[in-house]
Amino acid sequence: MQELKEQIKEMVVRDLKLQGIEPSEIDDNAPLFEEGLGLDSLDAVELVVLVQKHFDVQIEDMDEGQAAFKSINTLAEFITASRSK
Amino acid sequence: MSSNRRAPLRFLEALGHNIFYAILLIFGQIGAYLLLKPVIFTYLLFSRKIHRNVAYYMERRFPEHGPVQLWLDTYRLVHSFGQVLVDRGWLGLRRGACLDGELIGNDELHELVGKGKGLVLLVAHVGNWQTAFAHICGFKVSVNSLMHYEQEAVAKHYFDLRKEPMPFNIINTDGFMGGMIESTAALQRGEVVTIMGDRYAGGPSAEVTFLGDKVRFPSAAYSLAAATGAPVAIMLAAKTGRRNYTMRLWDVFYPETGDRQNRQEDVVRWTGRFVKSLEEYVMEYPYQWYNFFDFWRQ
Repeated sequence: MQELKEQIKEMVVRDLKLQGIEPSEIDDNAPLFEEGLGLDSLDAVELVVLVQKHFDVQIEDMDEGQAAFKSINTLAEFITASRSK
Repeated sequence: MSSNRRAPLRFLEALGHNIFYAILLIFGQIGAYLLLKPVIFTYLLFSRKIHRNVAYYMERRFPEHGPVQLWLDTYRLVHSFGQVLVDRGWLGLRRGACLDGELIGNDELHELVGKGKGLVLLVAHVGNWQTAFAHICGFKVSVNSLMHYEQEAVAKHYFDLRKEPMPFNIINTDGFMGGMIESTAALQRGEVVTIMGDRYAGGPSAEVTFLGDKVRFPSAAYSLAAATGAPVAIMLAAKTGRRNYTMRLWDVFYPETGDRQNRQEDVVRWTGRFVKSLEEYVMEYPYQWYNFFDFWRQ
């Protein structure tokens, strides 16, 4: 699980082109949107595409997205759960 | 306005609709068109609000027109909108009623869908745009419509009249991320997502000059396309005769993501493509613009 979280953090910083932050600086429980990492709805679209591309997991609707996109922890849990289905 | 004061207005509105439905059933489309003329004329005589709401657009589209000409322009625009509403009721209520339409760019549209990358179909509140929803059912993939809940009610009304199931799925903009996740998933499945590109109702936006002044336009469509690799196709409908309409593919482009710092500049550029088509449209069809509010302050 820890390795997966590191992969997600690297993906977020690299592919969303975040400036001035290192993957290791991202707190596992920090909110991804608004007051946390400061991502917005446009990033959410890219994140859905990136998760599908890198982890072969499809986020289908807002219920899944809302649960998965709370933090790095919840996204890692979502990917793990989806892969085991 | 209090709900007590609104109730009589709602009653009158419903009564008006029902009178038109009855006329449509008895006398058909022509009967309702004839009734429309005195109704619109009387409405314009007594309603200051409609003149104000149309003037935001008319004074920019026809800056050279004086008060009398603007009054006549307003009549033409409201009358053409009335005809679109009559057509909608007529199509819904009369068995066998149909409009003759042509879709300029149909082959290109199907070619784009055939590539399997999904398609963002941008439409606007111009012409008989709801006909577009009926016309875009010929795709081999599902069609989704990203829309606000209030607009959803109008669309339901149209298909409820026909007593037919809606030929598209609604993705509601209410809720987490304004329907962006569902739209992304649909595009990833290679489906079509239609989006109204003109009215701003929250979410990401871009300011672009339209008819001489800056307007805030919704911009989520371009970001969706950029993230998924889907093309954006601008399709606008126009009523061209009593039983004729045309739908034209005005522009197609592939938004691409650049640096995060330049994202807003990119969005403004892509929105500009849509606005250019919209300006060309209102030059060709000046009386088919149906945004009855101060569009420049949205």
